[in-house]
Amino acid sequence: MRRSDPQFNQFNKLHHFLSIDGLDKATLTHILDTAEGFTSVNDKSIKNVPLLRGKTVANLFFENSTRTRTAFELAAKRLSADILNIDLVSSSTKKGESLLDTLRVLESLQSDMFVVRHSDSGAADFIARHVAPTINVINGGDGQHAHPTQAMLDMFTIRRHKGAFEDLTVVIIGDIKHSRVARSGIAALVTLGAKEVRVAGPQTLMPADVESLGVSVYRDIDKALIDADVVMGLRLQNERMTSATIPSTGEFFKTYGLTPERMRLAKPDAILMHPGPTNRGVEIEASVADGEQSVILQQVTYGIAVRMAVMSIIMGHGEEVREAEMNQA
Amino acid sequence: MTHLRIDNARVIDPANKIDEQRTVFICDGVFSDQCNHDAQVIDAEGLIACPGFIDLYARLREPGFTRKGTIATESTAALKAGFTTVFCAPDTNPVIDSSATVELIKQKAVAANGARVSPIAAFTTGLEGQLLSELATLYDAGCLIAGHADHPVNDTGVLLSTMEYASSFNIPLMIRPFDPAIASGGCAHDGAIATRLGLPGIPVAAETVALARLIELCSSTGCHLHISRLSSARSVELVRSAKNKGLPITADVGIHHLYFTHEQIQHYDANFHSSVPFRSTEDRAALREAVRDGTLDAICSDHAPQDNDAKLAPFPSSAAGLSAFDAFAPLLFGLPDLLDMPLMNVLAKVTTGPASVVAPQNDNPTEVQTGLLDAGAYSLEVGAQADLVLIDPKAKADLSVENMVSLGKNSPLVGLTSLNELTGEDVALNAQVMHSIVAGVLKG
Repeated sequence: MRRSDPQFNQFNKLHHFLSIDGLDKATLTHILDTAEGFTSVNDKSIKNVPLLRGKTVANLFFENSTRTRTAFELAAKRLSADILNIDLVSSSTKKGESLLDTLRVLESLQSDMFVVRHSDSGAADFIARHVAPTINVINGGDGQHAHPTQAMLDMFTIRRHKGAFEDLTVVIIGDIKHSRVARSGIAALVTLGAKEVRVAGPQTLMPADVESLGVSVYRDIDKALIDADVVMGLRLQNERMTSATIPSTGEFFKTYGLTPERMRLAKPDAILMHPGPTNRGVEIEASVADGEQSVILQQVTYGIAVRMAVMSIIMGHGEEVREAEMNQA
Repeated sequence: MTHLRIDNARVIDPANKIDEQRTVFICDGVFSDQCNHDAQVIDAEGLIACPGFIDLYARLREPGFTRKGTIATESTAALKAGFTTVFCAPDTNPVIDSSATVELIKQKAVAANGARVSPIAAFTTGLEGQLLSELATLYDAGCLIAGHADHPVNDTGVLLSTMEYASSFNIPLMIRPFDPAIASGGCAHDGAIATRLGLPGIPVAAETVALARLIELCSSTGCHLHISRLSSARSVELVRSAKNKGLPITADVGIHHLYFTHEQIQHYDANFHSSVPFRSTEDRAALREAVRDGTLDAICSDHAPQDNDAKLAPFPSSAAGLSAFDAFAPLLFGLPDLLDMPLMNVLAKVTTGPASVVAPQNDNPTEVQTGLLDAGAYSLEVGAQADLVLIDPKAKADLSVENMVSLGKNSPLVGLTSLNELTGEDVALNAQVMHSIVAGVLKG
């Protein structure tokens, strides 16, 4: 049988949040608008809303993470959900238990939502296809494929600082090939109608047919930065240095590092983003990361509201499924 | 021995370019021009009679991986595909690198009473790519060809001496061109789809670089080289040009690669995770053209049965391979329309084509042993060993899981009646093998 997008439920509503691919502009805008409403919650002294009261969210992290896991945890708490943090990196999966067996055990803990991170591309898709239909799945990063909540918080940040997407030139710099942040970011920018999305990096860090994602490719960072409205750096992973993709961090910084001089090629009011954690002196100079144009810390803050938005939207759609199942029973 | 008379069949014999309505007689294991009157009679009205199909590459999984398949289950499933001879991959456990293992497989195959099983000898011990196997001994034990499964031979020196050694005994080598350093852990065609899905890619160069190396070694050693399971347009060009230069090279393609492209992996369907990746539409078009123009001599199943658990994992961690036997016949009979080729020429790709790959290259005709494929005279001619299939080309294929004979249910065609839903090409899945005859013996 031809497979369909598992993100939508039988009512054609977003039931899982796995990938930006396959979502339309209206859906992405709805998430951003909902997040906008939650930012005020985060500014109040009592930061909880009761939207997910009585619900259990399980963080299933098969790969190490502190920042993303904490952000999801905080978002769930602010929605009044109970949160389970399950460290799977050092647990049963190491003992040879299959992913499916692990899922079955976690299902029996009666969670309503799984937030998953896994080193395999497609893992979130796999989990969504195999969990009980009443469970909502959020992709917290799968291999090199997608990190859709990161992309939405990046879009939120851009919209807050730049308004409409239509006139924007966005440059993404560095390791596009191995980056799920880049893939999801590109998909979101293209769907939201950004004027131009540029990627810059050496060919060893570019995936095959990268143009097919809807981007223009630059080998020369200086040309890519000209007249940019948004500059996005990416974390260069240490393992790239051992795999003959780049010769050294020093040479990478020299050829693609974000320096104050390079930032001056972009528009004067350009913003500088980075998903963190930053490698200062590798992909970005400290004075740029901490500079006036940097919105890196705002990204982290907005991440809470955006994740609250995604959780509340799909949990709401999950309610419809759960009610339908109850009625059938 | 049994005597058989097959009436009213449409007889297609690619070796002799015959396509006519006539009676086929089989006496004492060989085709004949008459029969005694107590012969068993099969009314083959509406059926096609042609030489039994030969599969140059299938994994039967035994010994070693009987959770995925056994010689009994898979050689029976092979009959359903129309194969009367199956060359089985040497990547078993133990590896097929000793005559003892060959003997074990042959005994199991005789007991199974399915298709004839012809083991492919591993040309290095343990498929480790270092030391030569006893190729002459393995040949005498019944291995008509030697290969290396999906295991790479990283040391070019080992490859060179293997080809020199094999050519000394006129043993053909079957090699899938694959450079693991270039593939670098990839699991899908390195193109737009893998990029979008974040799947590590296998560049075309992983195939072409290895292929260019093989062609050069073939040219310097004169070894008969069979290139196994091509996937790309560029490789087809390389093979075509090598053949034009007169090198002793033959080549094949897995049947699924004539139908599918990387488009099929869009939603991470692990049933399309194949060790030979499905590539672009252009690559598929080139493979189809190469079947038409003869650059590709044979079509194989590349059968890879898997147990259910092996496929129940995210795409990169799922086991590679497609179970091919149950859907092979309908896919094969879809090709004449799809490729605009006469049925006889399509059937040649699974009969005379593969036979010519393994046929003895020396002038001394080998004595026909019952149980061994008589590749040198693969036809319906009087006196030839009687390997025959009777196929109903119009019967709808039943591809339900319950009806699958292979232990591996990992076929993306399960439940389908047409390919339209998968590929958008209107290919109805028709054809059923009604009877199979191996060395004159009616099976099943």
